[in-house]
Amino acid sequence: MSISTPSLLTGFLRKNGKWGFRNYILILPLHNALNQLAEEVRVSHPAQTVITSVAHDWSGEIDSDWDRIHRVFSGFAVNPNVGATIVIGVGSAVEEEIVQAARAKREMPIAYLTLKDSGGFDNLRKLVAESVSEVFPLVTSIKRESAPWSAIVLGLECGGSDAYSGITANPALGVASDKFVELGGTSILAETMEILGAEHLLAARAKTPEVGQAIIDVVARYERSITYEGIDIRGAQPSRGNIEGGLTTLEEKSLGAAKKAGNAPFTGVLDYAYVPTEPGLYFMDTPGHDIEQLTGFAAADVNITVFTTGRGTPTGSAVIPTIKAATNTEMAIALPDLIDLNAGTIADGTETLAEVGERIFAEIVDVANGKLTAAERGGHREFNLSRLYGSTQ
Amino acid sequence: MARVNSLIVLDARDNIAIALQELPVGMRIEQSDIASILEVKTIIPRGHKIALVDIAKGDPIIKYGERMGHAYLPIVRGAHAHTHNVIGDRVSTEPTG
Amino acid sequence: MITGYANNSRGVGIRSLQLILPSVVCSTHLSKKVAEEVGAITFSHQHGCGIIGPDVAGVNEFFVALAGHPNVQSTLVLGLGCETIQGNELTDSIAVKFPQTRYVVIQESAGMAGALELSVAAARQLHVKSPQAPLDHLVIGVEGNPEARFLDGFGDLVTKAGHSLVIANDFKEPSRNFAKLVREKAHVIASFPDGNQPPTGLPLIPVVTIANAQSLLHQALIDDFDCVSGTSPEQLLEKLFVVANGEASKAERNKIGNIVVPRMVRSV
Repeated sequence: MSISTPSLLTGFLRKNGKWGFRNYILILPLHNALNQLAEEVRVSHPAQTVITSVAHDWSGEIDSDWDRIHRVFSGFAVNPNVGATIVIGVGSAVEEEIVQAARAKREMPIAYLTLKDSGGFDNLRKLVAESVSEVFPLVTSIKRESAPWSAIVLGLECGGSDAYSGITANPALGVASDKFVELGGTSILAETMEILGAEHLLAARAKTPEVGQAIIDVVARYERSITYEGIDIRGAQPSRGNIEGGLTTLEEKSLGAAKKAGNAPFTGVLDYAYVPTEPGLYFMDTPGHDIEQLTGFAAADVNITVFTTGRGTPTGSAVIPTIKAATNTEMAIALPDLIDLNAGTIADGTETLAEVGERIFAEIVDVANGKLTAAERGGHREFNLSRLYGSTQ
Repeated sequence: MARVNSLIVLDARDNIAIALQELPVGMRIEQSDIASILEVKTIIPRGHKIALVDIAKGDPIIKYGERMGHAYLPIVRGAHAHTHNVIGDRVSTEPTG
Repeated sequence: MITGYANNSRGVGIRSLQLILPSVVCSTHLSKKVAEEVGAITFSHQHGCGIIGPDVAGVNEFFVALAGHPNVQSTLVLGLGCETIQGNELTDSIAVKFPQTRYVVIQESAGMAGALELSVAAARQLHVKSPQAPLDHLVIGVEGNPEARFLDGFGDLVTKAGHSLVIANDFKEPSRNFAKLVREKAHVIASFPDGNQPPTGLPLIPVVTIANAQSLLHQALIDDFDCVSGTSPEQLLEKLFVVANGEASKAERNKIGNIVVPRMVRSV
């Protein structure tokens, strides 16, 4: 194996046995009217790097997406990178359901504060700030300790792909992913649309025939639903940026995207935002939309992500450190404050795939140990509830 | 190690290669993994695909040794292979007009 | 009676707001920074990329409607560069009617720091001082379901005063009903939230909220409403006029609520 012995991995051990690589206090609004309040409390706290929050469109509506919404909010609240969560809501039965589900998923401080109980926005703002101060000493008293390799739950993501993605950053990330899987970690490939055309290659690597069939099925279901709905996906997949970058067909994009998962065998297939049950390589059924995928990862206990990009994108998660790997040197130079690592050297002929794979592995360890990513330094906390809007799937 | 090649051939089975720089019309490319000198017929933007052989209408386009779609118009050796002559086999439909 | 701002060819609005319009989720964070820096409005959203079918035209049209609202004086579109909704085309379709429109794209701005600098400069250049102007015809949006008797009385009053009403009550959630009122160019909104919904607004249109007497939630939050239940049509219209003339409504003052972009189909 070309990867040398890495430095020590450290993390925050949670009561459920999971490991975090960050230790946030998360303020999670369950109604879009509370987005601003969550942010105000976050920015008003002197220790801003410890506090995180999200904003979203949901206003408590219950429709056919309820199961998905419920799973994402409750899973996001208990991501292992979070030490304590303050859920803020209007005060309703559906919100309570989400809070209860979160509490059942993980033993940790989860406060639930509502407009209804506090009697107004001003008082709620005060109560949320007090709640942050209350859990602050508790959360910050948790110290990093030496973590096993199984602590890694790595999310594999690509966005703004170009023709270099499948040649440089994606296969190099595959090298790093394979190594973590071999060491007992977990790695998750996702974006169903972006394995369409490569699923037979992935299915052939399944540990069991059932898992192989599940990979085929999940893509077939997606393809069928798109066909049934009679929706023209051209313009979205490959995106216009992809096409400008040299990618012509969805299959081409998929063949390159799948390289993020290296050559390890597949342990299982996960529905959107479901938590892996044992270490290994997984495929998760998610949209290709970068933020919907990232949010699904966060709700599935992913604690670190590598995001390869050809065109350059600034986004990140409120709870998962997201490492940006450039697929080409030109972009890495042009957009320096978006990028953590350049894999374009493979196409330049100045580094081998194995060498860049080793660099990605080392960067993941460094970031897990506390090094901030470009997205973290930029304050990126994008969040998206992935909605189906009644689409068949 | 400096780059010597202007193209990357990802798999020996491929009928296209990727331009590692913009390739001007008339450029003659000679590298060890290409059968004979390849003359660039249309401008190839960096990162885009160039046909390594004559590709007939309906023929598969092979990249990474795998089928990534097919030609809906013939593509001559040395020409740009992209959305104006190549389309996916699945989900997307033949372009109209 | 109402003094607003002549917001160029958009007509007379009751505010003169600069809109920082992110064409995709990836540029929302930058938009927020720019808006804070220059005192403009913006909103976070999750759209603009990975959208298919009717959503491509739908999201585009909604963005154009936001930029063309009479309360807006100028628009800075911020894009990433590789998204489905192409910022340059969106900008063109806004600029064709409203020349006070510019576009900054992150992928061509040397990164986030560069894009921030360019955007702030562009926003300051774009800013116009719209002159004050009389607003003879106020378009009042009614969100939610006030009592029929109240609505009849209110409607008569509004019509007699030479103004008009637009009603949006397709959803229980005010933030989802606001989209229609954006498209209908309502200057100001009277919102009657469902009993389980809090008072809420949106950055573009001042929203006056009216509490529901039967709602325990509303009674608990009564200080966050502009009007208590039992407000007469005359009192409500008076309040809307005061807000139209520049007084901030409670939702506006507390910056409560977001612009919610309507969607039809899941992302790919």
